[in-house]
Amino acid sequence: MSNPRVTGAIRYAQDVEFEGMLHASILRSPYPHARILRVDASAVPDSVVVLTPDDIRDFGSYGCQIQDQTVLPRDRVRFVGDPVLAVAAPTKREADEALNLIDVEYERLPGVFDAVEAVAEGAPLVHEHHAISENDAAYFGIRPQEGTNICHRFRIRHGDMEEGFKQADVVVEETYRTPGAQHAAMEPHASVARWQDGRLEVWTGTQTPFNLRMDLAGIFNIPESQIRIISPPMGGAFGAKTFVRTEAIAACLAQKAGRPVKVVLSRYEEWLTLNRHPATLQVKLGARADGTLVAKRVVCWVDTGAYADCGPGVAQKMGYAAVGPYRIPQVWVDSLCVYTNLPPNGAFRGYGAMQAVWASERTMDILAAKLGMDPLELRLKNVLVDGDQFCTGEIMHDVHFIECLHAAAGTIGWADNKQGKGLCVLMKGMQTPSRASIVVEANDDGSYTVHCATAEMGQGAWHSIRLMAAELLGVELEKVHYAEPDTDIVPYDTRTTSSRSTYMMGRALVEAVRDLKRKGELGYGECVNKGGLDPDTGQGIASTHWHQGAAAAEVRVDEETGKFQVLKLYTSIYAGRVVNRPGAELQNEGSMIMGLGTTLFEEIAFEDGQPANANLSDYNLPAAGDLPESFTSDLFEREGAEVHGLGETALPPVPPAIGNALYSLGIHVTDLPLSAEKVLNAIDSRQQAKGGRA
Amino acid sequence: MSRNIPQWLAPTSLQEALALRAQLGDEATVVAGGTFIGILMNQKIMQPQALLSLRNVSELAFIEASQDEGSLLRIGAMTTHRAVERSPLIRQEWPVLASTFSLVASPRVRNQATVGGVLADADYASDPPTLLQALNARVVVRSQKSEREIPVEELIIGYYETSLRPDELLVEVRVPRNRERVVYRKFRSRSSEDRPCVAVAAAQVDGKLRVVVGAVAEKPQYFPEICALAEGETGGYTRELVTEIGQRYAESIEPISDSRGSAAYRRRVIAVEVRRALEEMVP
Repeated sequence: MSNPRVTGAIRYAQDVEFEGMLHASILRSPYPHARILRVDASAVPDSVVVLTPDDIRDFGSYGCQIQDQTVLPRDRVRFVGDPVLAVAAPTKREADEALNLIDVEYERLPGVFDAVEAVAEGAPLVHEHHAISENDAAYFGIRPQEGTNICHRFRIRHGDMEEGFKQADVVVEETYRTPGAQHAAMEPHASVARWQDGRLEVWTGTQTPFNLRMDLAGIFNIPESQIRIISPPMGGAFGAKTFVRTEAIAACLAQKAGRPVKVVLSRYEEWLTLNRHPATLQVKLGARADGTLVAKRVVCWVDTGAYADCGPGVAQKMGYAAVGPYRIPQVWVDSLCVYTNLPPNGAFRGYGAMQAVWASERTMDILAAKLGMDPLELRLKNVLVDGDQFCTGEIMHDVHFIECLHAAAGTIGWADNKQGKGLCVLMKGMQTPSRASIVVEANDDGSYTVHCATAEMGQGAWHSIRLMAAELLGVELEKVHYAEPDTDIVPYDTRTTSSRSTYMMGRALVEAVRDLKRKGELGYGECVNKGGLDPDTGQGIASTHWHQGAAAAEVRVDEETGKFQVLKLYTSIYAGRVVNRPGAELQNEGSMIMGLGTTLFEEIAFEDGQPANANLSDYNLPAAGDLPESFTSDLFEREGAEVHGLGETALPPVPPAIGNALYSLGIHVTDLPLSAEKVLNAIDSRQQAKGGRA
Repeated sequence: MSRNIPQWLAPTSLQEALALRAQLGDEATVVAGGTFIGILMNQKIMQPQALLSLRNVSELAFIEASQDEGSLLRIGAMTTHRAVERSPLIRQEWPVLASTFSLVASPRVRNQATVGGVLADADYASDPPTLLQALNARVVVRSQKSEREIPVEELIIGYYETSLRPDELLVEVRVPRNRERVVYRKFRSRSSEDRPCVAVAAAQVDGKLRVVVGAVAEKPQYFPEICALAEGETGGYTRELVTEIGQRYAESIEPISDSRGSAAYRRRVIAVEVRRALEEMVP
């Protein structure tokens, strides 16, 4: 069967067309922080519909975790690219031309562009108040600090940290930085909105149809039942197609115009819409002389940009992921989600884990060097096994870190020679709490249709669900159809994020098929995972299901230029049971390639808040030629095991495995990406420390 | 933001193209493969009123070697990078030229980008101009009234700046046959598909060493007085000599800083990469 993605038959959100539909363009702020003094759109021709801040004064604010956003900023722009107003015209070209006829007067305000500076005394405030959202996505206690730029503070207080460090024979401390990155999905954000008899209908490439519906209901002050979200397949998402992106502007314009309106962002606008959180992490780790970990202290500064989006959730996950999969009796973490005048940062494959694992796993190798211990041995000695307690207080079960680590070490011949080689182990939580529900319908022709909200963004989720359904129903794959998610039809699902769909929806599917067999025509099933963390102590259930893996890398460094080659890159991921092997392998490789880009060169550059490389010529993505010669992965299965999520696990361990490989040569780099220039500087300052070749 | 869509002029002969050029001058931006102009227009750095496309001027797409006139390779301005890379003639007789064009960006780009375009856009971060200058290549420039031939080093005079006049078109590149040693080294600090951070071309031309360093300043950098240190060294260069030439290039160039490396970093890499290029020249 020909693949509609290959033949072009697939219908993305931007392919949706309606009679009389208008095309939107957005006028964006040229300044990172400014007051809007005057907006004059009087020169725009009548054929163009203009949405101004005045039009949205009565609309509600939104934001999945903090309600800090309005459809257009009412009086103040907070980042370069903040929409000031929007227009809709019969053609995209007319819409673009209309933007030239609009005059906006600004009064510039001082801005802040770094999360550590933004929490300092006297920093300009990006928002005066922090209203916690009523959206389902605000699923944990959010702790904004009034009068500061901190929109959430997550803490772990496990044991007595001070006491722990007193017991330590060796203590290491280091600060790490990771930059912003762009998801760069091939398909940009796109949506089409129309109003039909007072109901709002939106076609949009979204991973979060129900969260989107909630926020839109709040904006227009109408019941959720008056809104219909249809989520066509996407050309990549990676976390960027979550919550409200282009949909509110499309819906407001459509309402004002009385006609359907389409918004499709340009590549440049993607950089102004959502990026990955830049972060600074300070890690202090103490151990006994025999390598037993006794205490850990972590501070994370998580730069969420001008609007919180899901930054509080990212900060929470970063906070506990930075502790790592280790038995540490005394743990103290402060993770701060901080506003700055940069474009908003949100979910990005890894969801805070990459930044955390980079800091945590690089620190393990520094500690190993100081202890004079093999980094693998140090990990094996402390890594969590079944029955151990994590820093959240939860007891771990179904953990497989040791198996993953051994496989990683074996692949690079760790036992023979450790020079130029690095390892990393990671754990990553899944959205907890959450709920997935699904309906399976028996059709008259003997086929079945699956109705659920799981979004297809290229990861193959629909195919996996069809495979599982076919197996449970005992029919051929061709007999199982998947209907495009439509919130008028499909039952509730938290969202297609955090590598949860195959696991959660798969469990709901088992129930639905059981129900169907009982009832004959329609079966319903749901899966609920309960838990959550106390935001002030970090105690509770971080995740009911852990993504687990390890990575190994081998590098060769040109010591005269700092340019290095990754000779080998390997990840071992615990899969439990694989549903779709080719798909799972490709997804794993995709994660590794994204991790490689993050390691080697991906970095959004800003100059005083202005994006400096927001295009695919200046911003490098990994190309085929950048892949290591040896580029492999393993997915571990166990007889009778349950399915484990795989969508993101192989990304976060890539940077530390490579960073640790450099460190084995005495090349110590703390900030990503590992540019040739940073490596050369590290070679210059290489000390005759343990592990150094010089 | 965007203005009216620019007028698209697509002459089908060189005569027609030159007539339009004479008539419109700088009012029309010349576009060949469009890989450079396209980026500038997408980023709204350039918003031309009119585009003079040479795409349909098929007489400008050719690769020929004349056996007479001192055995010259002639490449038409509209020849694509990919055509140069794959030409059996160039692969056989000017192999480093073929391999240098194969290092540019990706096959998608090389199928569009042209030899005339990469010279006339004078982008500092390109590969081919550096090598062409080292090979002592010349370009043929025509207007309705005149034709002149100038060395590549007189064509590119600054950042995105050439000595082309508003009524002229670059129509051809002429590369002398080179049976002597030629090396091109592309140092990328980031992706394999990135532009060079430091480009070094080294060639023996008529028994004289020509080292040209590109992507580090407003135009390719060539210092004949430093190259003269190698005069008389026919049987390969000593380690001391190649190190000295590398260091003197590094000291003589005022490198730029950009996303591919700071000035200080580039200076260090220049010394290393020039030395390595000369080491590779050793037979």
